[in-house]
Amino acid sequence: MFQSVEEVQQRFRQARYIASRRLSTVVYLAERMARPVLIEGPAGVGKTEMAKVLAEATRRRLIRLQCYEGLDEGKALYEWKYAKQLLYTQLLKERIGELIEDTHSLPEAVAKIAGQDDAFFSFRFLSPRPLLQAIQADDEVVLLVDEIDKAEPEFEAFLLEVLSDFQVSVPELGTITAKHIPLVVLTSNNARELSDGLKRRCLHLFIDFPPPKDELEIIRLKVPEIPERLAQAVVTAVHRIRALELRKPPSVSESLDWARSLVILNAQQLDPTLVEATLTMLVKYEKDLERVKGALDKVLADLN
Amino acid sequence: MDQRILEFIGDLRRAEIRISPSEALDALAASAEVGLRDRETFKTALATTLIKEFRDLPTFDRLFDLYFLDLQALGEGLKKALGPEDPRIRDLLDRLMAEEGIEIDPLTELLLWGQGTEMELAIRRGGEHVGLERLMYFLQIGYFSRRIHDRFDWEAIERDLARLMQLLEARGLDPGRLARIRNYLDLRLEAFRRLIRQHVERELERRAFRQGEKLTREVLTDKPLFALTAEEVAQMKAVVARLARKIKDALALRQRQEEKGRLDSRRTVRKSLQYGGIPMELRFRRRHRDKPKLITICDVSDSVRNASRFMLQLVWSLQECFSRVRSYVFVSEIAEVTQAFNTYPVDKAIEWALRAAPVDYHCRSDFGYAFSRFCRTELESLDRKTTILVLGDARNNYNDPQAWAVTHMRERVKGIIWLNPEGQWGWGIGDSVMPLYAPHCDVVRECRTIGQLAQVVDNLVHHWWRRGR
Ligand SMILES: Nc1ncnc2c1ncn2[C@@H]1O[C@H](COP(=O)(O)OP(=O)(O)O)[C@@H](O)[C@H]1O
Ligand SMILES: [Mg+2]
Repeated sequence: MFQSVEEVQQRFRQARYIASRRLSTVVYLAERMARPVLIEGPAGVGKTEMAKVLAEATRRRLIRLQCYEGLDEGKALYEWKYAKQLLYTQLLKERIGELIEDTHSLPEAVAKIAGQDDAFFSFRFLSPRPLLQAIQADDEVVLLVDEIDKAEPEFEAFLLEVLSDFQVSVPELGTITAKHIPLVVLTSNNARELSDGLKRRCLHLFIDFPPPKDELEIIRLKVPEIPERLAQAVVTAVHRIRALELRKPPSVSESLDWARSLVILNAQQLDPTLVEATLTMLVKYEKDLERVKGALDKVLADLN
Repeated sequence: MDQRILEFIGDLRRAEIRISPSEALDALAASAEVGLRDRETFKTALATTLIKEFRDLPTFDRLFDLYFLDLQALGEGLKKALGPEDPRIRDLLDRLMAEEGIEIDPLTELLLWGQGTEMELAIRRGGEHVGLERLMYFLQIGYFSRRIHDRFDWEAIERDLARLMQLLEARGLDPGRLARIRNYLDLRLEAFRRLIRQHVERELERRAFRQGEKLTREVLTDKPLFALTAEEVAQMKAVVARLARKIKDALALRQRQEEKGRLDSRRTVRKSLQYGGIPMELRFRRRHRDKPKLITICDVSDSVRNASRFMLQLVWSLQECFSRVRSYVFVSEIAEVTQAFNTYPVDKAIEWALRAAPVDYHCRSDFGYAFSRFCRTELESLDRKTTILVLGDARNNYNDPQAWAVTHMRERVKGIIWLNPEGQWGWGIGDSVMPLYAPHCDVVRECRTIGQLAQVVDNLVHHWWRRGR
């Protein structure tokens, strides 16, 4: 258990993550209050990474549930190994034949087979998916529910139930209750609004693009071979580009990509030709590219 | 402090931030976890438990400052706010009272030993029965400060203090020390009075805040669109964005539900042949229902510009719910602006449509001409999946209404919906030709305020596009 907000900040740093005071406070509270954290923010600002680092810093195992459109309870919680069950019934055909040998009517045979349900609906044939894995875990885990906004709202409702009591019932097997309450992190890129219920249950954290000071730290940390002056120029340029109101402004992940490619190209400073040539690392849409190229003078003013 | 946080939450709620009882409890628990030592940490503890929408953060920030501005003073920095708090003097007084067995008034005790928080609470209690709810103007601050002030028994305090001083004197303290002690007590008294005034000042600010919030939110949604000032328009954009989001989620959810497949037995059986007739893999039928198409035709003449602005904003935000959205604007000449909507961000696209589209913005509205032009060039592209949404006041400046054009359009599409930003009482009066167009429309609604616009669009989404058409 973290002893203080400062400790969160330090341990995250050791795990190579620059945590703002705000983020550290929320993490501290999440552990203390045993509450899930919902992180919202644009893509590439370190939401997913934060969960991974949290696992590392608390020495917990990370279990990840990546959401996507069409994700349903089965794929998130557990599925019966349908094929395996069928295979077993095929292989055991004769045994089943023996079993119903002395029955005289169809209903009687069905009843007899139904009596053997247990054999086929046991843990042997159950394949636990991330949610059940997190609940069944013997050790302490961080459960990352990544990009929840991609799943359907119905899934959210179901997730909320699981997050409220950390127990699930498998009709054939009974109720399974968590040994340890997992530390849960949900992330959303805000593709749609999440339900009130889920938000109510969670501690909420908005992560936006970091202030220049923090972004510089991140770049130093993740691209240690970058010359200091270049790192500073990159940060300033990126912040100016973000101010251009692009369709998709560059995020931290793009700054890092850019910094890395500049290092590979052995750049010492940001000269316009080099910047133009590497701009696609930073900006993805054609329209945005044009926009930035048009404003390049302003973006690079007084940088070198 | 809990009391204070609950009041704070009360004001957040009044500012229309939804906070459930469980969230309020979370806020109390979280603030207890982090304590008051660091203001930013305390603030985060409240924000993370109470605020779940990005757009509510500015309100939270403003209110937080009104409530917890003096947190520092109440916690660690107490000494500064209360003047020099000499521990030696306190010790001396402590001992004196213990030895002489003096009983003093609880208020004196508070004054001598109380922490800022306790003083604040006492002041709050003192303020409960002085009619603070009537506090409305800056000029009343003095009056209410005095009223709260008068609720404390200052004579008793003075008596207690005088007695303490006498006792100290009798013990032969030198005059210099005595003067310092007296000075210390006076400073504490003074600080207490200052706290009273601060309390009233903040109360006034809080009230002003509540009023302001309420006014903007309630009045603006019912204010006629044409009467909104530029600043109000800016404020309402956020409201409309919120609305659009809600409608979009509802619509998207329904579209997905409708698509959900059922077991496709034919394909399942066919697939099972691979496994000797055992249905190893199940196949589902995906129902494909085409999303509806939408065409908007907006009057962008001066009188209805705001209405068009908000409708365009709504339509822009709902684009994904339609397989195709085409937008047109007109005053007299009509022009397609779809392209701009696909390229620019929403604000810019709308400004462009309202000012820079290839139509003459300064001529007089001519619905008839616009519709006839539309018919001539676009009729072929209409089909039964398309809904036409018209926004305009149908004030035709006595031009030829050419209602036949609307008839033609109606024959080819799923339906025509007309939103009129003018009050219904005016339809048909003067140069309004609404009654001539109305019979060809499937729905005609008054849309004078944001409130009405919201309701109409919500209704359309839930009923018009629902009937499987
Ligand atoms: N505060 C940070 N400290 C360290 N690395 C960061 C930070 N923020 C972002 N990153 C880096 O940016 C990249 C994108 O982060 P990611 O977690 O995938 O973003 P998201 O999940 O928000 O889309 C990762 O390589 C991550 O290491
Ligand atoms: Mg991610």
